Amino acid sequence: MSEQIDITVTVNGEARSASVEARRTLADVLRDEFGLTGTHLGCEHGVCGACTVLVDGAPARSCLMLGVQADGADVTTVEGLATDHGMSTLQEAMWERHGFQCGFCTPGFLMQATALLQENPHPTEFEVREALSGNICRCTGYQSIVDGVLQAARSTTDHPQEADQVSASQVEL
Amino acid sequence: MTIQAGARFVGASVKRSEDPRILTGRGNYIDDIVLPRMVHAAFVRSPLAHARITEIDAATAREAPGVLAVITGEEMAALVTPGGYGIAGLFGVDKPDYCALANDKVRHVGDPVAVVVAQTRALAEDACELVEVDYDDLPAVVTIDQALDPASSPIFEDLGSNVILPPSTKVFGDVEAAFARADRIVRARISQHRYQNVPMECRGIVASYDPTSQDFLIWSANQGVQPARQGLAARLGVPVEKVRVRAGDIGGSFGLKTGSSREDVAVAVAAKVLRRPVKWCEDRFEHMCSAGQARDERYDIEAAVMDDGEILGLRADMVVDSGSYPGMGAMVSGLAMEMLPNAYKIGALSFTASAVVTNKATYVAYRGPWASETFVRERLIDLVALELGKDPLEIRRRNVVGQDDHDAVMVTGRTLAGVTNRESIERAAQLIDVPAFRRRQARAREQHRYLGLGFASFIEPAPGPRRTPDEPLGVMGPEPMRMALADDGHLLVYTGQMPHGQSHQTTLAQVAADEFGVAFDQVEVVVGDTDVVPSSLTGGSLSATMAGGAAVVSARALRAKVIAVAELLLEASAEDLEIVDGAIAVRGISSSALPLAELVASARAPGRLPDDVDTTFEASETYDGGAGGWSGGTHAAIVEVDLTTGLVSFERYVVVEDCGDIINPAVVDGQIRGGVAQGIGAVLLERSAYDEDGQFLSATFMDYLLPTALSIPFIEIEHLPATRTDEIVNFRGVGEGGLIVSTPTVCNAIEDALAPFGARIYEEYCPPSRLLELAGVIPTA
Repeated sequence: MSEQIDITVTVNGEARSASVEARRTLADVLRDEFGLTGTHLGCEHGVCGACTVLVDGAPARSCLMLGVQADGADVTTVEGLATDHGMSTLQEAMWERHGFQCGFCTPGFLMQATALLQENPHPTEFEVREALSGNICRCTGYQSIVDGVLQAARSTTDHPQEADQVSASQVEL
Repeated sequence: MTIQAGARFVGASVKRSEDPRILTGRGNYIDDIVLPRMVHAAFVRSPLAHARITEIDAATAREAPGVLAVITGEEMAALVTPGGYGIAGLFGVDKPDYCALANDKVRHVGDPVAVVVAQTRALAEDACELVEVDYDDLPAVVTIDQALDPASSPIFEDLGSNVILPPSTKVFGDVEAAFARADRIVRARISQHRYQNVPMECRGIVASYDPTSQDFLIWSANQGVQPARQGLAARLGVPVEKVRVRAGDIGGSFGLKTGSSREDVAVAVAAKVLRRPVKWCEDRFEHMCSAGQARDERYDIEAAVMDDGEILGLRADMVVDSGSYPGMGAMVSGLAMEMLPNAYKIGALSFTASAVVTNKATYVAYRGPWASETFVRERLIDLVALELGKDPLEIRRRNVVGQDDHDAVMVTGRTLAGVTNRESIERAAQLIDVPAFRRRQARAREQHRYLGLGFASFIEPAPGPRRTPDEPLGVMGPEPMRMALADDGHLLVYTGQMPHGQSHQTTLAQVAADEFGVAFDQVEVVVGDTDVVPSSLTGGSLSATMAGGAAVVSARALRAKVIAVAELLLEASAEDLEIVDGAIAVRGISSSALPLAELVASARAPGRLPDDVDTTFEASETYDGGAGGWSGGTHAAIVEVDLTTGLVSFERYVVVEDCGDIINPAVVDGQIRGGVAQGIGAVLLERSAYDEDGQFLSATFMDYLLPTALSIPFIEIEHLPATRTDEIVNFRGVGEGGLIVSTPTVCNAIEDALAPFGARIYEEYCPPSRLLELAGVIPTA
């Protein structure tokens, strides 16, 4: 067994501490130490993108990053997208457009698309496809996911005051 | 109409009830299950394709940190009951003889040899490295031709040879006369390569065992919890009552996760031995080399054709490479044979089928397991067109069956009444505007740009019509369903369907809500627990008809029970009562409305009703499939092949299809588009590759390439008005069609694009290097 190292990570706005083996990935820490099982592992070699989270605002593969590397970082996972008031505009748009089927790739796409929309609030369809081309979905053929991102971008334009705040139909979370 | 007047949910793209949990990271997938005292399994797997195990030394591994147990194949053999695993186990296939873990020899790279259980998965993997296995190498049998050679090294000694299904021929119609009358005979050897399901979630199980009650509680990512339970109980040697199987959310499957796998059984055995819950979540390497692979079928086919394009008959000789262990491989040819003539007026068929075993991963069901027949036929039609100097569309038009062909029967037996393939071909051709495309194609060729147009047409049995009035429809026979009215007025729907992306918790709720008379959000669809759901499984594109139909008849039965009680409580006659929006009322008198929750409470109030009145508010019905029926359609693609890179780009991809009445259009379109994407991946990117020694070459996503958002085009879908074949239920499945027909569509378009080079496509796999060979840009390897 390898050495245990103490880390503190801000996860979805909350400071969390853990003592983790150096060899454990960030995905392991999120899932096993913090119980945040929304982050999924699809390949564990950095290709499928299901485990994508935001580290200091930028998308990162949590299967390729060690937990200890996240010490001091600000991490956002899929659990951090919705607020007490409801889902994010992107989540709402994905619900509306039937973005996903089995849901396993979903956390990675949502985090990647969240990062895209923060950087480029009005992407073209090609820009969406390019930004999501590092994430694999086996169910949908991608069109519904692309439609969801484009709809989220439109919603933000149509209702700028609501952007990423309270969405129209709330769900119990 | 299937749905009564006032239908509100069926036919609408109702937002999925699965999505709030899935979109917020609150799903419950197999790796999310954590039980008290749970420990973790990892498998020692064979690095060789074919070898005899001479010795296993697990002593060091057993002493390694955190290790609780190592069970070798030989030890496992003493702990399980002999018989089949996975889909072979479900169908009672018990030969050849093999075990949950390899105990005499290994038969493919990745074959499980021992299971290690430790405090964490990482420690279990560490200890796997310490298990020393000595092998005596045997010659690997890697190709169909090697397996057919009687001198090849037998993979199963008790099989006698590597031919697991000896050749047998069935003849339909007068084949000799068809070939004697033909103006010419078109011959081809056409094959599909080996590829695989690749759900984004690999396989997994959490098994626990209670030594006091001797009950197993199994969490399994599986397409049917009852079949999984049967498979586990049979191999564990316990009555089914001693096994409870539960499933949460499942991250895709596409046919793979059916029955109980060898690893599932090994993990359940480990849980019993250790008396602790054991989790195994397969990693991607294990998945690619061991979970199962599909296709890898070869046809020698001949068509008897007239010069005007009429196809009189076919002779087909099919060989399936079923990989190492018994799976779907030896069972698929019957389905392929039956479907080969499809929606065409082909009057004669001779079909020879055989299957071989090889040192590759086991052949499993993958979305349209019989799909080779559509690939081969639709490819052959284009080859016939080339031979006759005609447009492939003309050959299809000459032979296809349409709505007006009321008496058409497939030569293999089933009626084609109601199929709309002529109509879908015409509509697809119209949407493409073929004459305009041909002009554009000609101009493009002058500029050395190579555009191509491909069509392919198909029907799929979803569930298909009956051959005889008594024939059961559905993989598992009639579909059972239980419905109950809860105390609070919610409608509970218990189904044996096990959704893994198909949205059954939404679509079945839509049907039940409309039929029973409650709002969509008043319906809860319960899945995934053998204690409460009836026996079925999700597969074969059957759930729309079978479970949709079961929802219709069960809701009607429950409704009748509720109305019978209401007659007594409201002192009204049944004809005057209706259930609307979760309340029962005398028709036309809204002030009489009694919410269902109040009806339940009143009915059960002591002394309120005579004792012999049924106030359980439950109904269990089965649906036999009614008249059944086909789904089908036509796909068309316009592609461009770049002769610098060999890459294919899509200008358009058009789908015209008919799946009967649509429950949820967004769900249907999602199924179609997802299937097309898998087909595009299969042709252009995906291949389960082995070298000449049987070494596996595509164990990562850097070797096994999957389509991304940039590889899949916008897919246009148009639904044809359906022909109703049943008085009550006309929902038909769409699960498999998108994949089945997309691979010949893409290959036909590529061949058309490369027509100036005389290209002929006989193999489904068309990566850039192959296309550059076909175009003569690089020499053929």
